[in-house]
Amino acid sequence: MDFTDYSLDPAIFDEMFLPNGEPREGSRRLHEALTELSQEDLAGIQERVTHSFSTEGITFTVYGDEEAEERIIPVDCVPRIITAAEWDFLERGLIQRVTTLNRFLSDVYAEGRIVSDGVIPVDVVRGCPQYRVEMRGMEPPLGVWVAICGTDIVRTNDGFFVLEDNLRVPSGVSYMIANRKAVKAGLRRVYRGTRVRDVENYGRLLRETLRELAPRGQSDPSVVLLTPGIYNSAFYEHMFLAGELGAQLVEGRDLLVNDGFVYTRTTAGLHRVDVIYRRVDDDFLDPLVFRPDSLLGVPGLMHAYRLGNVTLANAPGTGVADDKSVYAYVPDMVRYYLGEEPLLQNVETNLCRRPEGLEYTLDNLDKLVVKRVGGSGGYGMLVGPHATPSEREAYAEEMRKNPADFISQPTLSLSRAPCLVDGGFAPRHVDLRPFLLTGREARTVPGAFCRVALRPGSLVVNSSQGGGGKDLWVLED
Amino acid sequence: MILVRSAQGLYWMSRYLSRAEHLCRLLALQMEALVDRPFREVHFGWSRIYGSAHRQPPWGDIGELESDEGLLFDSYTLAEDLTFERLNPGSVWSCFAMGRENARQMRQCISAEMWLCLNLPYLRLQRMGIQDTWRTSPESFYTETAGAISTFTGAAADTMYRDENWFFLRLGRAVEQSQWTTTLLLTQLALSGGLSGESFEGDWETLLRLFHAFDAYMHRHGVQVDPQHVLDVLATDNQLPNSLSRTLGHIEEALDALGPGPDGWASDELRRLAGRVSALVKYEWDGRRNPEPLLREIGQHCRDIHDLIAATYFDYPVHDSPQR
Repeated sequence: MDFTDYSLDPAIFDEMFLPNGEPREGSRRLHEALTELSQEDLAGIQERVTHSFSTEGITFTVYGDEEAEERIIPVDCVPRIITAAEWDFLERGLIQRVTTLNRFLSDVYAEGRIVSDGVIPVDVVRGCPQYRVEMRGMEPPLGVWVAICGTDIVRTNDGFFVLEDNLRVPSGVSYMIANRKAVKAGLRRVYRGTRVRDVENYGRLLRETLRELAPRGQSDPSVVLLTPGIYNSAFYEHMFLAGELGAQLVEGRDLLVNDGFVYTRTTAGLHRVDVIYRRVDDDFLDPLVFRPDSLLGVPGLMHAYRLGNVTLANAPGTGVADDKSVYAYVPDMVRYYLGEEPLLQNVETNLCRRPEGLEYTLDNLDKLVVKRVGGSGGYGMLVGPHATPSEREAYAEEMRKNPADFISQPTLSLSRAPCLVDGGFAPRHVDLRPFLLTGREARTVPGAFCRVALRPGSLVVNSSQGGGGKDLWVLED
Repeated sequence: MILVRSAQGLYWMSRYLSRAEHLCRLLALQMEALVDRPFREVHFGWSRIYGSAHRQPPWGDIGELESDEGLLFDSYTLAEDLTFERLNPGSVWSCFAMGRENARQMRQCISAEMWLCLNLPYLRLQRMGIQDTWRTSPESFYTETAGAISTFTGAAADTMYRDENWFFLRLGRAVEQSQWTTTLLLTQLALSGGLSGESFEGDWETLLRLFHAFDAYMHRHGVQVDPQHVLDVLATDNQLPNSLSRTLGHIEEALDALGPGPDGWASDELRRLAGRVSALVKYEWDGRRNPEPLLREIGQHCRDIHDLIAATYFDYPVHDSPQR
């Protein structure tokens, strides 16, 4: 199948093609293989990929319907390529960034030097709803607050940019692996010939990371994965990761705290737990400390945590470092803590908590993307150029009421990659979310959950907003 | 040693799927009967299904189904109520969905093959309604659905490691089977006016077919279908896969493999009761001219076994500081 109807726009970076229409160096083999396949072949591959997600129950849940609806995440069978050099740059940038954010967290929950030195205003930190005073004076094992990080990265003609850091309960890694399994089965010949780096050892790396973070350096800790339960949007992922870890998948009701230790209720009695990979938000972790109406957490869990009898990964309170207002200061943090220039660039961000930021945003609402500082998953954001005047006005009204809740960023020309649409190739905007693990050392798997905005022209890649997934192939040297 | 919630999930998954399978097998026979059997036999079939499910039909009383007129029309409504009615917790759809929901939560504890065996028919069931099954061959739908659950059971037997997960699965199936068998036999006796009541061979023959016991019966007792002999085979024949005595044996085997739970009293009581109910079938059944009181006693014990399983493994109290 050829690419004759595939459109290129010089203003938008294309992941497969150079502006002159030639395939990029790393994508040549894939391009050749795709052109050799017939339309029926590709449709068959796409169908098998979709079918495998459906039969294996690889789903996510969409909130907001009357009943939480279980949906298959749409997956496109055409992979996106990242070269070895590009990956090397991204990996170094990610390690630098997460090392910085861990230092920042240790600092703001201790003496707060970065605030007293005037690098970041106090109200940005202490005014952040995700700042947990309960964590003041705490230092997690090895000083690692963020053991698992998923960073959203986009590419434009000007290079890679970090869109946001996800430091609380980042999700998507299971889709990265599921996409790989499904797509390589469909494109087995080209996969074998392309020398793609493996991502399926993620479970082993995660296991090593969590073991290193066990309380008092225990060598064989008992690890569990704490899930909010079957109705959580990422339940499939929780189940998948528990399997990869060889850990029990537990809900809050499976755990209890006795004498400052955490136990699971098993059919043979109580069994001690050392490390909890928690996929429950801070608010719901412990009803005695955070939200008292939480049924998802474990009463007394924070007490056991403070005593150092159990490790929580990620640590509570990490949300202050991925807050969208704090994000704007990450490049300054890199310089402050590491004395280095940041490798990965931030997207220029206007803080509406500042009068000049609010004014600029309101004046340019038709050109900007506006987000709520505590929002995630693409919920509650405004893509100015795609919104109607009445939508923009309604949003502006909300911004005026509570400016500190909002930030704005320029509408980026996210890069595009070919997708199989209606029997032909069409460009769609993409981003990537690589995952970084931090224990005694920082580790990545060479890959990412590549999200794609499947609606024509859309820039919103979130699965809850009509986005899908794509396999991302990182090439060997 | 597995999580209490996992054990419960596997136990209930197995019970729900077993329940759905039983209902499908009953409905498959009923759909066959609708083709050419007399009105009385069809009416008996519906009464037996509703009686064994402890449920009333949508219009309140199965007795109002009084004539051949409108039989198909009424049967359509009854089949829909028992198959696709989502408000009926005992319908095939509800039981299958609950079994699959438990499986979804317990996917970590079951094999990929088991999940596929369950998820594919579930997705098919989701898209169907009574009009789809009724249009062509409704009995095929029920046979295929029951077959899918049998395949799931076979996949479990072939792929599951023989640890606690497996034995809770087995336990759930055996407890469901034992309760269903006693309820069904009691319903059959009640509808037939006991062993001394007017007997119709067809009613008892379908019972044998339901347990895949027709050939075994003929081999043992000849072609004459005698209600007393039918009950004897279904209750005591140890070579019959789903006979009561064999099912109770499965409960004892599973409990032996699982070992005592944290609650010593409930654990001892559970084993004592499982042994007693097995002994009742083994030693007290033979020669009974009226097995109804004994069946009632066995049925009550089977329900008590369920309660004691919950007390032993699921709902045990936490008294002291546990071992570290």
